[in-house]
Amino acid sequence: MHTVIEAPINAISTNKDASQVVVAGRNVFRVFSIEDDAFVERCNLRVGKNLNLNFSAADVTWNPVEDHLLASAATNGAVVTWNLNKPSRSKQELVFNEHKRTVNRVCFHSTEANLLLSGSQDGFMKLFDLRKKEVNCTFSGQSESVRDVQFCPHHYFQFAAAYENGNLQLWDLRRPDKWEKMFTAHSGPAFTLDWHPDDKNWIASAGRDRSIKIWEISHKPRLLHTVQTIASVARVKWRPSRKYHISSCSLLVDHNVNVWDIRRPYIPFASFEEHRDVVTGIMWKNDPYVFLSGSKDCTVYQHMFKDAVRPADRANPIGIDTNVNGDLGLAFSDKLLVAGKSQTGSSMLPHFFRSKGPDRSEQFTMASSSAVIFESVDKSTGLEWFIECATRYQLSGKSVEDLCDHNAAVAGSLNKHQVAQTWRILKLLYGGNTATPCPPRTVSVIGSPAVGEAHKAESEKVNLKQQLDGHLVQDHNRSTHTDGENKDTGDTSTAVSEDESDAESSLSLTNIASGQVNQQGDFFFGDGELETFDYPVTMANMDSMQDWTLPTEAIPLRHEIQDRLDSPDPLQNATDSPSSANESEFSSQAFGNAENATPMYNLQAIPFASQNPPWEFSHLVCDMLEYFAEQGDVQTSVSVLIILGNKMKTPVEDQKQEQWFMAYLELLTRFRLWGIANEVIKLSSHRAVASLNQQSTTVHTNCNKCFKPLTRAGWLCDRCKALTSTCSICHLPVKGLFAWCQGCSHGGHLEHLREWLMTHKHCPTGCGHICEYT
Amino acid sequence: MFVARSIPADHKDLIHDVAFDFHGRRMATCSSDQNVKVWDLGEDGHWTCTANWKTHSGSVWKVTWAHPEFGQVIATCSFDRTAAVWEELVGESTEHGQKNWVKRTSLVDSRTSVTDVQFAPKHLGLQLATCSADGIVRIYEAPDVMNLSQWSLQHEISCKLSCSCISWNPSRVHQPMIAVGSDDANPSGGGKVQIYEYNDNSRKWSKVETITVVTESVKDIQFAPNLGRSYHLLGIASKDVRIISLKPLRRDQSSTQTSGHSKFDLRQVAQFDEHNAQVWRLSWNVTGTVLASSGDDGCVRLWKANYLDNWKCISVLKGDGSNVKLQESSQVQQQQQTLSGGAMNGTSSPPGQAPLPLNIKRNSGWAYFNTKKDQGKHYY
Repeated sequence: MHTVIEAPINAISTNKDASQVVVAGRNVFRVFSIEDDAFVERCNLRVGKNLNLNFSAADVTWNPVEDHLLASAATNGAVVTWNLNKPSRSKQELVFNEHKRTVNRVCFHSTEANLLLSGSQDGFMKLFDLRKKEVNCTFSGQSESVRDVQFCPHHYFQFAAAYENGNLQLWDLRRPDKWEKMFTAHSGPAFTLDWHPDDKNWIASAGRDRSIKIWEISHKPRLLHTVQTIASVARVKWRPSRKYHISSCSLLVDHNVNVWDIRRPYIPFASFEEHRDVVTGIMWKNDPYVFLSGSKDCTVYQHMFKDAVRPADRANPIGIDTNVNGDLGLAFSDKLLVAGKSQTGSSMLPHFFRSKGPDRSEQFTMASSSAVIFESVDKSTGLEWFIECATRYQLSGKSVEDLCDHNAAVAGSLNKHQVAQTWRILKLLYGGNTATPCPPRTVSVIGSPAVGEAHKAESEKVNLKQQLDGHLVQDHNRSTHTDGENKDTGDTSTAVSEDESDAESSLSLTNIASGQVNQQGDFFFGDGELETFDYPVTMANMDSMQDWTLPTEAIPLRHEIQDRLDSPDPLQNATDSPSSANESEFSSQAFGNAENATPMYNLQAIPFASQNPPWEFSHLVCDMLEYFAEQGDVQTSVSVLIILGNKMKTPVEDQKQEQWFMAYLELLTRFRLWGIANEVIKLSSHRAVASLNQQSTTVHTNCNKCFKPLTRAGWLCDRCKALTSTCSICHLPVKGLFAWCQGCSHGGHLEHLREWLMTHKHCPTGCGHICEYT
Repeated sequence: MFVARSIPADHKDLIHDVAFDFHGRRMATCSSDQNVKVWDLGEDGHWTCTANWKTHSGSVWKVTWAHPEFGQVIATCSFDRTAAVWEELVGESTEHGQKNWVKRTSLVDSRTSVTDVQFAPKHLGLQLATCSADGIVRIYEAPDVMNLSQWSLQHEISCKLSCSCISWNPSRVHQPMIAVGSDDANPSGGGKVQIYEYNDNSRKWSKVETITVVTESVKDIQFAPNLGRSYHLLGIASKDVRIISLKPLRRDQSSTQTSGHSKFDLRQVAQFDEHNAQVWRLSWNVTGTVLASSGDDGCVRLWKANYLDNWKCISVLKGDGSNVKLQESSQVQQQQQTLSGGAMNGTSSPPGQAPLPLNIKRNSGWAYFNTKKDQGKHYY
């Protein structure tokens, strides 16, 4: 139940039996009586001819003894008393203009109706005697502004004051010269304090440091509890007849009234969320279940405790997470466990700290959680098989048949029978296929654009036949060079240079002709297959952004092709009899093809036509891969993709492939299988994936003299115009391996140093250090 | 099965969240006592607390790790209406092996309790989604991944309902997508799970679906790791556990231009009410094949699909660390019987295919399930 008032409320106060409430603000000063279902206005104190600041209130209080007496603290420093029994319209009785600045709090003595205490921004507290209508005595805290003063309800002479510097002082009315006790309660201004209604020695204070602190003040003040709230606390009020409950409202941000159990200081026991602006006053109605609150949003609410929101009930009592190994991390509220046990017959019941019985609204025990890690040792949830497969699968380096065999064995040993069977089927489908003499259609598919590119690069005037001849010669040249390097797949630099020189030479027909003449064995490799390897490799080196970059996967395939040189191909003829007749025959064949089709595709035409197996299973394999992916076993899909490479004629959608690769790579990195992840990237035929490990690795080098980055070259500093790493022996920059002595840090070319230190003991620079070369 | 290892968490109040990092070797716990603890897995297999610090001035609801590519970074969100991003200072540690974590930023836009915080999947860069009790989802982005102290509020989405949980769709292929769950208690308030999608053209997040079958308050929501699936699996913790699959419908070229946002084929793949109580949390394993759920009954239940895509309970764990034998074994058998029978009758889905669509009617883009009719038909 609530009522709306025309202006923001600064303070509220109820009378002795909590049947009426006074609501005060800068532009409002009214008394309401609290009926069963509504607030009914009793009188308006803000009446009269000149409404000066005395009619505005920063604080208001109702006399706890005399039901007709009210006191208000005005912002101009006046303390005003009001007599509701006055017959006139204006109820104003006394005005004390004793304070020089705003009065923050007024407080009646709990039993002595005529004693009124005020605390002001000017740093003084004054005790007014309403009978004498004058100041009885003045207390000076000798620290900063007084934010709150409260008479102790248990002790006739005692009162407490809270200060803007965070101090709390305890005073005795009989000793106005000096406080009894003083202690620093808060690290910022203390805004409010409240004596515990039952426990004589407890006092609560709160302030801008967002904490509510409970002090025990019998001897040396001792901090009992701290409640950390989310905003500066404006007011605190103990909940009646609940020893550990205290209500609070905030100065800013938080519009709720929170009731805390100080033994569980982290979550409000109850929250009241009705207000739309900050709450400025809380008054309990002598009843632990009902209280009133006034707010800046111009409303006064009467809250029933049963309507409260219980943040702790909403709080999540369980935390759970699964890690990559399938281990479960679990944090459980102990309460849930207890509850679970009590269900199963144990006598453990949640205990209630009130004897009122199992009233749910009063249950608020300390809560704690226990954490458990469930380590997965089970095949159904663990992922050891994944790691095993990832590490033991072979993806390259052998024939498809062997790879499938191996992987089937791996999967089988890990009880992944379905996967193992899949590998075996794949072996049947593709392994057998490669065993038959099959020109590498995979190669030609990829290679043909490269050939086309080469065509363009060459002189357009050269007719196609000659061109092809030139190619063949080139092929031959290269093949002779690369033969020796076949095992060293990484060594492509020589291939590059060969290529370049060849490209140059092929520009003129005479060169081609001479090339033909120079080679005694004019055999050549049909279909330009070797060339197709070389081109993409070199291109990839030069510019990985070319959209037809051949993945490095092509390199292992080269071996297969070499193996198949004995197939009934031009090659066989070539080895047998390197006759010119053969050459013309085959070049014309190639020429014929070129006529039929565009140069881009002519070369793949032949192998395709002759080698297609009668049964088209590619799309089935595709479906199979998709099935595994849908089942979450992306490992199998990717491994198969890699091994089959381009043997699959209806390839899986590009995007899908990328998705699988990425997912598999992420999994691998999760398991910290970096090496395998890199291998997968390397073997991937997908452009975006293959370029992954060519990205984001930059080594920045700085000049060893001026420490500025070397931008142009690794051995010359543009800034200090000096060579950065010269050899101590030949004084030339070292561009390869730089070997240096750990002792004197001089060094240079490895070869030079080795030579030098064979014969000398001392450092070549003459620094005198006896260098060690091991 | 599982070996339970108790951890002396020693939080002073409830622990609300547990989160493993990307590699599963670090764990963070957060609690109402306003502290976060970070635990590291030692070589000996023991978890030791390497950091413990006060993060907020209210209960810390969730903690989540960023992808390690961005550094050792966690985000927390709290009752105190803020979310915070923390980074570990690498190389610095005190004499007891304790690591230092520093607050990089505090996100203070919310006016109510921030109930969840989640980092976006890595391919979207360094983005963070938060949701708050007043029903606003906020997307933040750190434009410079090297500077974790600068986050700009990119989007604010109003969900109308008080939000309790949020989950990013991890798919690389699909547009950025988040699912938001609401703990609004009123069952008549409609669906409690909303799906939002980022539209590249309008550069806005817009709602694409509301899962209307879930009307009870939702406590947790988790997308399964995608791993190249063509559909998305969404686990929902409410009064029961549900798994919903969202299969993006191929859109025609024409409709792409006009409507812009994707449509989905929604199926409820599974529904489990074995907890018989409020289910609080869910967690998928890395491959998205096992779902762990935990509820007020004090048990953790693990669910897995068999080859027919029927989800079954494979394990029950007690929160105190004990394994519980499957008491419902008879029930399971029964389920299997009906299952096999179903397979013979051909009503169950054939192996290797997504389950049959439920009875979903589609009116102007919104799907609803005929729950009554579908209950017990496809789940077992």
